[in-house]
Amino acid sequence: MVERKIAIVAQAQIHSKDMPVPRERMLFELVKGLFDSVGITRHDIDTFVLCSNDFSAGRTISNVFEDTPVGAYMKDETKVEADGVMAATYATARLLSGLYDTALVVGNSLGASQFRPYLVMDYELNPVYDRQLGLINELSAGALQAKAYMDEYGLTDSQLDKIAARLLANAAKNPESINDDAGATPEDVAASEYLYEPLRRLHCYPFTDGACALLLAAGDKARELTDKPVWIRGVGDSLDTYYIGERNLARSRSTKLAAERAYKMAGISDPAGNIDVAEVSAKFAAQEPIICEELGLFPEGSGGEVADKGSAAIGAAMPVCPSGGALGSYAFCSAGLVRIAECYKQLTGAAGDTQVAGASTAVAHGQDGFCLQHNAVMVVSSEEG
Amino acid sequence: MRNVAIIGVGYTPVFVSKRKDVNIAEMIGESVDAAFRNTNLTPDDIDAVTFGNMQTFEGLNLPHLWSSEHFRAIDKPTIRISTGGTTGMSTLHAAYYYVASGLYDVVMAVTWEKQSEGDSQVGLSGIVLPEAMVMVQHGMDLFGGKGMGGMGGGSTGAAAYQAMSYLHHSGAEPEHIDKMAALERSNAALNPYAHLRKKTTVADIQATPMTTYPLRFGHTCPTSDGATTCIVCSEEKAAELADTAAWITGLASCTSDPTTANFIEGQITDPAEQEPAKIASKKAYAMAGIDDPKTQIDMCEMYNGFAHQSLMWLEKLGVCDEGEAHKLLDAGELNIDGRLPTNASGGVFSTNAIGASAMNRPTECALQIMRKIEGGHQIPKPIHNALAHGWGGMFQYVTVMIISDSPRRQ
Amino acid sequence: MAAQDRIVVDNAVVPLDFTYNYRVGQSMEKFIKGLGDKKILGVKCSGCSKVVVPPRQFCGTCNRVMDEWVEVGPGGTVELYTVGHVTVEKGLVEVADAPSVLALIKLDGATGLLAGEVEGVEPSGVKNGMRVRAVFKEPAEDSLNDLDHFEPAG
Repeated sequence: MVERKIAIVAQAQIHSKDMPVPRERMLFELVKGLFDSVGITRHDIDTFVLCSNDFSAGRTISNVFEDTPVGAYMKDETKVEADGVMAATYATARLLSGLYDTALVVGNSLGASQFRPYLVMDYELNPVYDRQLGLINELSAGALQAKAYMDEYGLTDSQLDKIAARLLANAAKNPESINDDAGATPEDVAASEYLYEPLRRLHCYPFTDGACALLLAAGDKARELTDKPVWIRGVGDSLDTYYIGERNLARSRSTKLAAERAYKMAGISDPAGNIDVAEVSAKFAAQEPIICEELGLFPEGSGGEVADKGSAAIGAAMPVCPSGGALGSYAFCSAGLVRIAECYKQLTGAAGDTQVAGASTAVAHGQDGFCLQHNAVMVVSSEEG
Repeated sequence: MRNVAIIGVGYTPVFVSKRKDVNIAEMIGESVDAAFRNTNLTPDDIDAVTFGNMQTFEGLNLPHLWSSEHFRAIDKPTIRISTGGTTGMSTLHAAYYYVASGLYDVVMAVTWEKQSEGDSQVGLSGIVLPEAMVMVQHGMDLFGGKGMGGMGGGSTGAAAYQAMSYLHHSGAEPEHIDKMAALERSNAALNPYAHLRKKTTVADIQATPMTTYPLRFGHTCPTSDGATTCIVCSEEKAAELADTAAWITGLASCTSDPTTANFIEGQITDPAEQEPAKIASKKAYAMAGIDDPKTQIDMCEMYNGFAHQSLMWLEKLGVCDEGEAHKLLDAGELNIDGRLPTNASGGVFSTNAIGASAMNRPTECALQIMRKIEGGHQIPKPIHNALAHGWGGMFQYVTVMIISDSPRRQ
Repeated sequence: MAAQDRIVVDNAVVPLDFTYNYRVGQSMEKFIKGLGDKKILGVKCSGCSKVVVPPRQFCGTCNRVMDEWVEVGPGGTVELYTVGHVTVEKGLVEVADAPSVLALIKLDGATGLLAGEVEGVEPSGVKNGMRVRAVFKEPAEDSLNDLDHFEPAG
């Protein structure tokens, strides 16, 4: 049974289409800025959980030169090589153990200026089959999943364009967004070229250089550091089979199991009723209805209706990705942390033009793999529970 | 704080240079099978999985995704940890925290490497490849005198510098490195899961060519294909699921600045100083309630890529005073039947599937405590507290675990 | 001493080109040999009866080794497909010379779907449920390329 309470007490993020400084400088300024804003130094951090990827960084042991800039010199430190939500989950576990009171989680990658995200994904393919044949890549896989949802539930191209446009409109209100197409209308989306049908260019996440840092603390320490702690009420993740030919691509079993685990821990039995805002990592617009339905936020197969009625809009009953989600910015590893950071901003009333009024409980989601293979969910709330 | 037990270990049947008969996923599956066989558990008993290796060695990104079936992680919470040479222990640390947190009760840690399928030099040089490439592109000859001097001779050069500094400060002689090497290789000869298993004398070691003084070819670890799985659980689950257990009573990690070469950030840390080892070991001892490691640690498994490091770590980890390790070696105290058996398994020096290497240290300690060592390297004396150590990165990462025969009491 | 030219490096291009040599494992070896004989081999799990192609050693659902070999296809049904207008090569997206059809195909006798390119039909003519047939390379290369593509079957 889990007794300690863990909260997020601060967040910082940075995104760029072409980071003007090297990774180390980017991390130093981000984390130093975070420390200064809270009024602490690196000596107040008991444990560091980094999150980066060797292939994306072009460096073996990608954290070797990340440690000093984030303040981990002569400190306890480790690295998760997966999406940021999993790094945040691990940091939560470290704090729950009782061995530490504060943790800094920092994720980063330079997918715009430094390395090609689609190639980073290619390296995840089965090396003895898919990688040899070159048929499956992130775009063709994303397209197959979009088509699967459309075939199964009748979502139309124009409804899919509406989902992308809603996200891009939200991104236009978010100063953290780096997508040049932020503010695109459904017509703009429909006019963008097909990559693999039905996937259009404006349905896709933008290549991003970015980093995100979260400061986590336990119980009394959290209250000492901020008067608006955002409590981590539930965590859960799950892993599916790699083989997309053996999964129902219109659904995501691992997202469902991850959500069940997180909701159980959070004591949430009615997600659609209890969750005020959701930040999900839909790298392609068509992934959003799949994720949201497995999170229990909308009925199965309702993506088209949700798009037509605007039920996921910022002012609607179940706002999804008021930040613009992955279509605003998406940097490998950092991305899931950004989703959590956006939830934190919502629950502390700091979300500016994307603010959902009165939000007190939120769900964040992150993913790895092709077609939503590995999914992690975190439930956060301004109520301690 | 919740007590965490190690209840089972599984190794691939062998650790060798090239496993030609299996692909990566199949090889990993072998160690998971072995762990289940050794514990009579099934995947249904496992609540979550932690997974680690150094992925640039195989050119396979997030390998837990492709191999998910083979390590029985379907529908399970899974996390990937990757911290260079310390990966194996960092992955076991993650399993520890998952249980200690109360989030899960039974967690399986899976670590491995199949270096024969990649290029180890690429994997290693990749740490500083951008810096090195810029230098090459601007006309610097990395392989000439100035270049090599600037680079510190790469990892072998840095290790040689470390060995020289260690010898200078400790008073040990190069012959002590030969002696430690021969001891560990002879230990490995008794260990069916070791890679280099030939009984070795000091003369055998001294007959190998010098690479960079004072280090010889015979002082250097191999690269191995292999996988290790370790199952940890809560105290209640240990009572329910296992007939015997070893206990993780202390753990810590620490990082300093990346070493190896002065051309990066102008660092000036002596790689023999190993401040992180001192900091991490102190934390781990305190957590385990060990006031005097010199008398209370009964055995050590150290991460030694090079033979001099076994001696160096004994001192830096506080198990003996600085300058004393080689005297313990001379007195036979580091032998399997000695007072402080060190690397009874042969250490990383004899077996190095790099993602697993830092986890093999605590698994060997656990097997010694549970008296489940296969082969001839079971330490005869009773073991109450064992020290397991991991090391890596650019000479700056240290992880430590204390494995004990009883749980730490609050 | 005269002032020296300084090189200020603000951007470094580091081309990396490594070759990795993967053991394919016994299942894939057998599969490749089968393709050389113009046979598509799948493997069946005696626990859940699923037949997967390409074959692999392990069924994660049942926690058992799959060792029952089954010949599947060469005919099958398109279950899902996408029309590609680009190619993605080493992570770079380029406009394709002509549209391509990538399908997930249920080969006769298999439960898992196999990815394959469908040629010999206009993209607009491809439908879910349409019958296709494997086309093998002639002469055989004893490689994965021996299963070259799929084409419509009556």
